[in-house]
Amino acid sequence: MQEMATHAIEFRDVSYGIDGTQVLSNLSLQVARGETLVLLGRSGSGKTTTLKLVNRLVSPTSGEVRVNGESNEKADVIRLRRHIGYVIQEVGLFPHFTVERNIRLVPQIEGWPEERIQSRVQELMQLVGLGTELAKRYPHQLSGGQRQRVGVARALAADPEILLMDEPFGALDPLTRDELQREFLSLQQRLHKTVVFVTHDLREALRLGSRIALMEAGKLVTVLAPSEFLKSEDPWAAAYVRAFGNGTESLQKRGTT
Amino acid sequence: MNVVRFMLHNHTQVLELTLEHLWLVGLSTAFAMLIGIPLGIVIAHRPGLNRPVLTSANIIQTIPSLALFGFLLPVPWLGARSDRLAILALTLYALLPIIRNTFTGIRGVDPAVMEAGRGMGLTESQLLFQVELPLAVSVILSGVRVALVISVGLATIAAAIGAGGLGEFIFRGLAMVDNRVILAGAIPAAILALIADTGVGWLERLLRAR
Amino acid sequence: MRKTSCGLMIVATAALLVSCSPSHTNRIVVGSKNFTESFILGELIAQQIETHTNLKVERRFYLAGSYICQQAILAGRIDIYPEYTGTALTAILKQPASNDRAEVYQRVKSEYERRFALTLGPAFGFNDTFAMEIRGEDARKLNIRTLSQAAQFTPQWRAGFGYEFMERPDGYRGLVATYGLRFAERPRIMDLGLLARALKDHQIDFAGGNATDGLIPALDLFALEDDRQYFPPYEAVAVIREQMVQQHPEVAKTLAELGGSISDQEMQKLNYAVDGLHRDTQDVVREFLREKGLAP
Repeated sequence: MQEMATHAIEFRDVSYGIDGTQVLSNLSLQVARGETLVLLGRSGSGKTTTLKLVNRLVSPTSGEVRVNGESNEKADVIRLRRHIGYVIQEVGLFPHFTVERNIRLVPQIEGWPEERIQSRVQELMQLVGLGTELAKRYPHQLSGGQRQRVGVARALAADPEILLMDEPFGALDPLTRDELQREFLSLQQRLHKTVVFVTHDLREALRLGSRIALMEAGKLVTVLAPSEFLKSEDPWAAAYVRAFGNGTESLQKRGTT
Repeated sequence: MNVVRFMLHNHTQVLELTLEHLWLVGLSTAFAMLIGIPLGIVIAHRPGLNRPVLTSANIIQTIPSLALFGFLLPVPWLGARSDRLAILALTLYALLPIIRNTFTGIRGVDPAVMEAGRGMGLTESQLLFQVELPLAVSVILSGVRVALVISVGLATIAAAIGAGGLGEFIFRGLAMVDNRVILAGAIPAAILALIADTGVGWLERLLRAR
Repeated sequence: MRKTSCGLMIVATAALLVSCSPSHTNRIVVGSKNFTESFILGELIAQQIETHTNLKVERRFYLAGSYICQQAILAGRIDIYPEYTGTALTAILKQPASNDRAEVYQRVKSEYERRFALTLGPAFGFNDTFAMEIRGEDARKLNIRTLSQAAQFTPQWRAGFGYEFMERPDGYRGLVATYGLRFAERPRIMDLGLLARALKDHQIDFAGGNATDGLIPALDLFALEDDRQYFPPYEAVAVIREQMVQQHPEVAKTLAELGGSISDQEMQKLNYAVDGLHRDTQDVVREFLREKGLAP
């Protein structure tokens, strides 16, 4: 019987160590298509490394990572990355490119026809809530929130199935963060991307994730749906819930568009 | 204003020596860029190499220029023509500022930008030509500017071994004990250095990354 | 758009700088070394060309030595400069010296033509070799003309030489060996310019100078004859770029007229006029050419 590749992303007993430190140990995890999997943990838990294993910015020391059924090891890394969107906390917009040029970069190097690129850029700017007058501006002329919107637009430009986000709203003020979280939810409802989202903020995890994978010291502790997380008896999960106070308000925010 | 009259009277020679000087400086700086910029890129990407390369370039700089001209003289093909030798020596002296600034410029690119670029699927060469170099160009040019100004000065010493250029006026003037001749060499050389400095400086500001 | 035009500008400037390689067309550039005699000869060549051809002459005098002049002429920065056959043979061609004037001239000429695409004009006529000088009064009193004759008197004399003469293989050591000379004490080493004065003032009795020193006639000094032909010949000749001669054959023709036109004594007089009397070189040369019937 043929094994059907139903998982968008799969970690098979993955470990990663560098310079004598074991960063990840025996990670086994599956991410289903269309779900938003949140990697929750504190600094040093290995959540960012786990994320980077997906687009092979990091390679495992043992074990295997599969994307859409294909092992990362064998895949062409450039092709892999061009079909995965990547958003980081510092955004990393190219400072010498306009907003427009930043967004159109991947479609452009993929050789899309000019008209298609232009309409896509317009479409994306609308999607992430950026006025088209900002197209010719440079990153240093934008606010933090606007920059991250461009970051998201840029990541979505070539219409990837998978989106990797590493604490994307962490550097923003609470109001903007709230706004962007809301818009993320509405975007997800529309686009149904497979998202792996890294955060250390439980409230964000409860609000955005379809499942929460809790990590501690390089190990996967538990994977739970948000509602289960709050009730969990797992010591780490419980510690998290305690640290963040009552999480129910975040849970209530889930349905809000 | 004796000097001005002298220079006007001998304007063909002033022009000719200036062109010779530009030839020495231009060619050597071009070579230094062709060698130094790629080398700077390599060591920026491979941290292990940066010390040996930068140290070597540094050592070359500490050799007094006249001495370097002098002990390259017996080298076969090179020493047969002093302008060849001078161009080699000038190229060597121009290497350090260019390599070092290329290294600094590329290392100075925001790592977040590089990470985002790599994560997006840009190849190493796309990253280099579309991201790193455009962002580093202002710093690299600043190294070229330093190299040019140093070269204009060093090229005057090259006349001591017969490579021509404005230094020849200076040495001849010294032998004749004639200040006008000395200045006829020193003034254009200083002007050339100023032009190089302001010209490239203007270019740097123009291309400075936002 | 701005970046492209910037890029174009940079490329254009670079191309301009790189294309500045030296070359010149309807001018003849005459070089000379940085001492009076060379300067006079350079001016002589320059005026001769100016008078007898339509060509413009550019002067690039006071170049610091044979190596610099050689580099300049090889690179085409100068077209002609005055050199000495002996110097060309030993310093540039790096071959051992010989004493045969004609042989040295021929060897230098053929080597220069073969290796450097340079040729030689005819010798100007004087031999600026080393000259061992004594006071005129001593020469007359003792009735000596040659170095061999002087050898019997040198043990009573003090000698003075320039630093270079002491160091060169074809200098002091060879001289003493060839003529069996001994002096009263160790020779004094002093600046060339001071030798003649020191001799005149009886501080020394025997000086190693140059045959065409302007001060020889002026201070009544006598140059002893090198009867054993120890010193190699240093005949002054014009070194010329062959390519220039091909383009302007009239230059070779007019320089040929200067062949053999200056004797040792005449060169001494010219040197003295500039060094001793501080006259203007251009005037001195113009006068000389007029006297020789080579200029109006």
